[in-house]
Amino acid sequence: MGQDPLFLGHISLGVVLIVVVKVLVAFVALLVSVLLMIWFERKIISDMQNRIGPNRAGPYGILQTLADGIKLFFKEDLIPEKSDRFAFKLAPYLTVIPAFLIFTIVPIGGTVHIFGHVAQLQVADPPIGILFLLAMSSVAVYGTMLAGWSSGSKYPLLGSVRASAQMVSYEAAMGLSVAAVVLITGSLGTRDIVNSQMGSFFGIFPKWNIIRLGIVPFVIFVIAITAELNRPPFDLTEAEQELVGGFHTEYSSIRFALFFLAEFMNTISMSAVIVTLFLGGPDGPNLGGPAWIWPILWFLIKTGAFLFFYVWVRAALPRLRYDQLMDLGWKILIPISLAWLLLVGAMQVSKVYGFVLFVVFLIGGSVLYRAVSIGRDNDSDVETITTFTRIKFNDETSIEGSNEGDN
Amino acid sequence: MAPYLPIVIMLGLGMLFAAGSFIGSGLLAPKKPTNAKSAPYECGIVPQREPVARFPVRFYLIAMIFIIFDIEIIFLYPFAVVFHQLGSFGLSEMVVFAVVVFVSFVYLISNGALDWGPVKRYGIQEPYPQRTTTSTIRRVASGEEAA
Repeated sequence: MGQDPLFLGHISLGVVLIVVVKVLVAFVALLVSVLLMIWFERKIISDMQNRIGPNRAGPYGILQTLADGIKLFFKEDLIPEKSDRFAFKLAPYLTVIPAFLIFTIVPIGGTVHIFGHVAQLQVADPPIGILFLLAMSSVAVYGTMLAGWSSGSKYPLLGSVRASAQMVSYEAAMGLSVAAVVLITGSLGTRDIVNSQMGSFFGIFPKWNIIRLGIVPFVIFVIAITAELNRPPFDLTEAEQELVGGFHTEYSSIRFALFFLAEFMNTISMSAVIVTLFLGGPDGPNLGGPAWIWPILWFLIKTGAFLFFYVWVRAALPRLRYDQLMDLGWKILIPISLAWLLLVGAMQVSKVYGFVLFVVFLIGGSVLYRAVSIGRDNDSDVETITTFTRIKFNDETSIEGSNEGDN
Repeated sequence: MAPYLPIVIMLGLGMLFAAGSFIGSGLLAPKKPTNAKSAPYECGIVPQREPVARFPVRFYLIAMIFIIFDIEIIFLYPFAVVFHQLGSFGLSEMVVFAVVVFVSFVYLISNGALDWGPVKRYGIQEPYPQRTTTSTIRRVASGEEAA
């Protein structure tokens, strides 16, 4: 289970060579796709905002990102005086390395035969693939948090505190919605998850998890991923109007470039992960030609659609307020994803359990709704709020005291 | 360990890439730090205070509640993997577990632990005047007794 067929026999030089080639191809492909993605995003956004966008470097400005990257190499690398130097230097590594690693577990195609070896078009297929994904996205929180904290400056600190609370909140919702996928597949390996989505219902509807699980876990996962990536409309961590540049305000030169790179690389990897978990990965009809090329094409089409979706969301939606963000994460997404997970499980066992649980969840939902409205105007809250207000009034540097709340 | 070999190689490559770009930038970039450059960035203002060391307690609350949910998720994953073998026994166990966590969650929410809304000023009442153009301007400008 989850074993790469490459390693079933004795490990030979050819096998290791294939692994190295796979890793190198994935590495280069990731970097190139980041270059293209940044260009794509800028171009699409400028079209949506009726601007021209980058159009100088290369045809249609396609080399603009490369030019920016090279420019950043030549810029002075500043380390602020008050920073914690070790953590300040460590943070970009912690951000960029998980970004590289997440992509390794994504299956991008079927199997191919190279020089007598059967190779999967996937860099790695560990039996704990999903846990690895969750672990890497948790490590990325450390990068963001340390970057802001170690800068020794106000705005990065604010940005990183916000970011870690936000990422941590949505990680719970994300974990619960992925658990539904694991439950219906019975495996944590990404290749197993993709394989279980092959085939179709009644020959028409694909047997993808988005249909098998109902659309709810998919929607929750997409929202949670958007928040996890700090992309708009959840980009409170780098809200320019309030926080300058968020957690990477103090970073310059190549350190800043690495944060930027990691952000876009994560966007690409997470789009690929959405496709893997909910949209059948490389699954799709073969429309003629060589058999190995269609899975890759389908995978690229689906991932590209999600990348476009992220850009579109960025252009279309305004940023959320912090309390709205936290309410959405804790009071809506987490309870719904937990209930849906148990509901999916109950439906697998027997329909009767499913309906009983559904009624239980309706009751639980109304209890929760009541709790939320009690919490909003709870009298025991007065004490906290009073202290809060006092801090705000006495010390103007206190952070996050309120949302300028005199409305 | 075989399936993890590519991940280890990728880890090495990633570190090499990051370290290499730092070295490259170190060779190519100028190094002329001044006091103004290495001061904390505050839009050009010379910072008067140290960055605050205290956070609102809400962030700690979030972290603690997150741990509860994270533990629930950690228990959910093994359950989800072997769910088909466990059947209704596993389901009922998990429902009991979820209810226990849910009760504490409801308690927290009804205490307003996750409430981030605009500050409700019960304790200190600012004398807010009726909001007209004149009164607002006067309040901001001098803080005198508002009309």
